Amino acid sequence: MEIGNLQRRYLDFASTLFHEGFLDNQFTQLQQLQDESSPEFVLEVVTLFFEDSEKLLDELSRTLNQQAVDFKKVDAHVHQLKGSSASIGAQRVKNVCVAFRNCCEEMNQEGCLRCLRQVRNEYFLVKNKLETLFALEQQIVAAGGSVPMMW
Amino acid sequence: MRVLVVDDSPVDRKIAEMLLKKNGGMFEVIPVDSGIKALEVLGLNEGKSERTHINEQKIDIVLTDYFMPHMTGYDLLKTVKENSNLRSIPVVMMSSENDPEIISSCKGIGAEDFFVKPFKLKDVQRLRTYAAKTPMCKHGTKRKLPVDVIPENSSYESCPRVPKVAVA
Repeated sequence: MEIGNLQRRYLDFASTLFHEGFLDNQFTQLQQLQDESSPEFVLEVVTLFFEDSEKLLDELSRTLNQQAVDFKKVDAHVHQLKGSSASIGAQRVKNVCVAFRNCCEEMNQEGCLRCLRQVRNEYFLVKNKLETLFALEQQIVAAGGSVPMMW
Repeated sequence: MRVLVVDDSPVDRKIAEMLLKKNGGMFEVIPVDSGIKALEVLGLNEGKSERTHINEQKIDIVLTDYFMPHMTGYDLLKTVKENSNLRSIPVVMMSSENDPEIISSCKGIGAEDFFVKPFKLKDVQRLRTYAAKTPMCKHGTKRKLPVDVIPENSSYESCPRVPKVAVA
């Protein structure tokens, strides 16, 4: 596919991610940090986010399905997920984590399980979107073009 | 300038490392993922103080997350400030929670500042001012000039030594 078309597709897709609230300005901040000396910085950070998040989600599932739920432990994990999602600009994941923490405070197991389903859903949505975004970047570079800046 | 970055989040450690490295080579980053490892870097084991190994890695500033398992950033701050050999090292806290009580309690026991995450470029700029306040090292190997002699906008290429930052 022609470079110009790929670049337009990339910009349109990225723009949608921001408009639909999947990503916020923090993601743009990370992109601005990337340079020739660290050309894969955003990919590296997002990959760490994926690994960390999936561990946390598994741990949350295990902890919430215990007979006696340790809500402090649940809250600690949600706090970490909230922090890392905020750090990469995964806005919708972060917002669900805020509600999740409220359920932890209320020691509401049902509420927490509901939030876990929501946060898992939002996480996999944003993961899918980001993987698509990075794939588009790779296509542009493979075609000999440069990835357009979104700011 | 050696910055010990303490954060259990690998995402936040990576971002902090990148932001600090972007500052014209001013910071050398030593990242650790826990308060306990931070104490090891500083030459302290839990509850022990081995004078000969204190701050062998010449840490100039500690940047630590507040909420961490096993040993919180607050506990780390307290341990550093209670140690006569380490208390002059500036400790800056960070957290995603903007809680006035937490901020006040940290500053009350000697934290230089409290950054609300995500860690940003303007926070790095503030770190520079705290690191510049560090008194001359007793062992005299790093800081050859008093702080007030070093011009504000000095280029790091002209510094005889770029301090290293340990990021745990």
